[in-house]
Amino acid sequence: MALFTRVQRAFQSIFRTEHVERQIDNELRSFMEESAAHKRSLGASREQAARAARIEMGSTNAVAHRIRTAGWETKMEILWKDFRHALRGLLRTPGFTIVALLSLALGIGANTAIFTLIQQVLLRNLPVRDPQQLVTFGPSLGGGVLGGIDLGFFDQYTYDFARQLEKAPGPFQGVASYSSIDPVVSVRISNEGSAFHLNSSMVSGNYFSVLGAAPQLGRTILPADAQTPGGDPVVVVSYRFWQNSLSSDPGIVGKTISLNGTPFTVVGIMPPGFHGIRRQLTLPDLWVPLTMADAIMLQPGMLAPRSFYFIHMFARRSLQSSLSADQQWLDRQMRDYVRAGEGINITPERQKEIERITDPITSASHGVSSLGDQYGASLRILMAVVVLVLVIACANMANFLLARAIARQRETATRLALGSSRMRIVRQSLMEALTLSLVGGMAGLALAFLATRALIVWVSQGIASNALTPRPDMTVLLFTLGVSLCAGILFGLAPAIRIAHTSAGPALTGGVRTASSASGYGKGVLPKILVTGQIVFSLLLLVGAGLFLRTLLNLQNQDYGFARTHLLLAQFDPQLAGYKPEQIPALNQQLLDRLQAIPGVRAAALSNSPPITFGTWRSSIKPSGYTPAPREDVGAILNRVSGHYFETAGISIVAGRPITPADKATTLKVCVVNQAIAEKYFPHGNAIGSTIKIDIDTVEGPWQIVGIAHDTRSSGPRDPSYRTVYLPLAQIRGKQGEGIRDSIASTILLRTVGDPNTAIGQLRGIVAEIDPNLTLLQVRTIQQQMEMFVSRESLIARLTVIFALLALLLACIGLYGVMSYSVTRRNGEIGIRIALGASAASVQRMILGESLVLLAVGIAFGLPLILASGRYIRSQLFELSPFDPLTLAVASFSIIAVTLFAAWLPARRAARVDPMTALRCE
Amino acid sequence: MPQSQGDVVQGTLEMLIMKTLALEPMHGYGLALRIEQTSRGVFRVNPGSLLPALARMERAGRVKSEWRSSENNRRAKYYALTARGRKALDEETATWNRQARAIAWILEA
Repeated sequence: MALFTRVQRAFQSIFRTEHVERQIDNELRSFMEESAAHKRSLGASREQAARAARIEMGSTNAVAHRIRTAGWETKMEILWKDFRHALRGLLRTPGFTIVALLSLALGIGANTAIFTLIQQVLLRNLPVRDPQQLVTFGPSLGGGVLGGIDLGFFDQYTYDFARQLEKAPGPFQGVASYSSIDPVVSVRISNEGSAFHLNSSMVSGNYFSVLGAAPQLGRTILPADAQTPGGDPVVVVSYRFWQNSLSSDPGIVGKTISLNGTPFTVVGIMPPGFHGIRRQLTLPDLWVPLTMADAIMLQPGMLAPRSFYFIHMFARRSLQSSLSADQQWLDRQMRDYVRAGEGINITPERQKEIERITDPITSASHGVSSLGDQYGASLRILMAVVVLVLVIACANMANFLLARAIARQRETATRLALGSSRMRIVRQSLMEALTLSLVGGMAGLALAFLATRALIVWVSQGIASNALTPRPDMTVLLFTLGVSLCAGILFGLAPAIRIAHTSAGPALTGGVRTASSASGYGKGVLPKILVTGQIVFSLLLLVGAGLFLRTLLNLQNQDYGFARTHLLLAQFDPQLAGYKPEQIPALNQQLLDRLQAIPGVRAAALSNSPPITFGTWRSSIKPSGYTPAPREDVGAILNRVSGHYFETAGISIVAGRPITPADKATTLKVCVVNQAIAEKYFPHGNAIGSTIKIDIDTVEGPWQIVGIAHDTRSSGPRDPSYRTVYLPLAQIRGKQGEGIRDSIASTILLRTVGDPNTAIGQLRGIVAEIDPNLTLLQVRTIQQQMEMFVSRESLIARLTVIFALLALLLACIGLYGVMSYSVTRRNGEIGIRIALGASAASVQRMILGESLVLLAVGIAFGLPLILASGRYIRSQLFELSPFDPLTLAVASFSIIAVTLFAAWLPARRAARVDPMTALRCE
Repeated sequence: MPQSQGDVVQGTLEMLIMKTLALEPMHGYGLALRIEQTSRGVFRVNPGSLLPALARMERAGRVKSEWRSSENNRRAKYYALTARGRKALDEETATWNRQARAIAWILEA
């Protein structure tokens, strides 16, 4: 029979049962008639023949039933009937159903939400051809422009090395490269329109072909586009940019747009899901050939051989080559390149060093994911947390359904006695569980969408266009379905087993009370195990939440060394507005003069980087009178600051004087160092008056130390204070005293009297007055800036607290349910106890005592579990032991309080049992 | 398990039905009667097994059915063997013959 007919028949048997029924009846009747006719023809009387035929047939109902159940269609029909039966049963008890669905929706929704993020951040492959063949040279997580390092350090490469491997890819199908940072460029679509800023990615000519990505429209950048430095102004744009700014005009291909003032021809548009090889929050909207680096980065000489290390590399492996052969080849290329750059006389030590140069070939089927690096561990912990929450919710459900099954014992026994099959009853009970879990799962999916959207807003820190989406894809939907089914089977099993053990006899003969206390399950062992498990897991979650919360507080409340209030930070880039380095000093002075005059601003300053930031200006330094050991790290963070920087940023000067407006281009070159430098290089307190030289040509020095500033945690709350040198912005000039690129200060700092947000409007106004093209890229308060550094801790702390409270609530409901059901069931027994003279207090003590035993067992199991799982979260904590006694105490105390509360209500009810009523009810 | 007289050897009912239907289309009672007669009264197929078996075979596409008037002018559901049923009959007959021969060898050994 064709599938179609089968399906049709299946629907018929479900929805047109009457028709099928009639067919079967007709056939049975005709069979009997034929049989009777035959027997009459053999000489029986009419009555005898009819009787014999009926006896032969047996029960027509049974036969009809067996005919109906001959095919799978009827199984569907039975399932449908069971489903409707379950639905009716659930609708009869709306209170129970709502609580059940809500806890399931929360449990499943939390799992779906976290899984959606995990899937996008950690699991999903790049949307390109054969993503599993892609590898990167090193994890390629950082980014920046480095100089004076060995090749491959921080996975950074030079343009000439990348070109060399691109031309001769060795064992790989292809080796491609891209800029490790996505520079912001100033985009102008037409001459009239105003400029706006977008992130651009610079790529090698074979980037798209090695990645295996095809354009939506036009073409990608081709190897022919990236041959000569500066010669190929073409650009491929993102779908989003094409939609939002180019009004989806297909005729744009072949036209030009201006990037940083240089005209670029648009050659293609990428499809909507394409983000390049990187998976990060800020997505590039433009792809241009690496050969255009100078124009894009507004810095000459980016492509000069062996100069700037700013490129990441990736490759597509071929099937024939082994990973170790690939690695050997890459290492050889890197070592040969370094050796060739060092001339003929290489010392044996240096030789050995060069032989150690390597960069591990890393799988990139998921892309290069800085998000995964930042949030991977947190997401895994959160996944474990939500699984526990779901298990607790399932335990509740199992208890609820178990209680229902016991309450329905008489009904079940009656049905068994009337000949219903045990299998059918078990199936119905499972169906009830599955109905709950599937409906709960659907509600959870909706909940997860909202939760994921909120989470993404959090994670993306206000970046509107990011790589994350709350829309569930097929994998997420399957995951939710799987979780719902597993949950349903998990909590449907307990009552099903209970029913399977029901026998028709005892439940019908005596009162329900006698029957249930006769069997082991009736004594409520299983519910108590489940409640104990809930207590264990809730305790675990509470301790985890407490630890993460305290970590967050520790991070936030430590001494950072700079002001954490009343400080406004703004980023700008005069080069994007077309400023030449020579114009910079005048612009800086103009900005300082105007900003200082804003009412409500106590102090204003300019600096290269904010007091706390991800990327910094670094170099090795030469303190006078200090001889470093061989290979000693003499690196330091550099910051160039205007006068008033220290009072604006709230960094205290512990000795000497700060940099002031009096430190001009013409006066003695001075600097301020932090305590770390003073203690490390000038241990005898002789820092002030000594000099420091810096290994960067433009700011070489020597700089005379005039002051020592308090240490600051400038690279993040977990990083210790790093050696820092502050240089006067006004003293960074070229040979003739002209402004140079390093005279640019891209951060404006305003110290305000009141709320820093109130100064934003005036700040923007003044900047626009000075030059309308000068746009502020970012404006943040210092609190917002610092939140970026604890976003992970903040996320995990808040979510674990929410989930732990949810778990506690569920466990509380569970305990309350089990205890109050136990009280109801033992109504008669309690009545007898009271009749025999037990006081209300002793009855209360008895019920409370039972819960306390569960609690004690739960804590006894929970504490070792906490000790065992402590090491998994140790790395996530800050200045805190995973066995922090305060956290353990508070968590245990809260669970004791909640348990007592949950048990107290039924205990009070037990004490109020009226012996006469209880005994009469028997 | 001892095979009580009158019951069909387990698993062979469908083969017997198909063999009987291979001659001509028949209604349910006719089939039961024909099997009983051909087996000289050894096998008695009661409607409680026959009709579900027919329903099962119809769903499997081995037989098809239609309502027709019977020889004594009553409406009855007539079953006929399909091409698929004919093929299944050949296969099952071959299997059965091989097994019966093997059993005979074992019993004679």
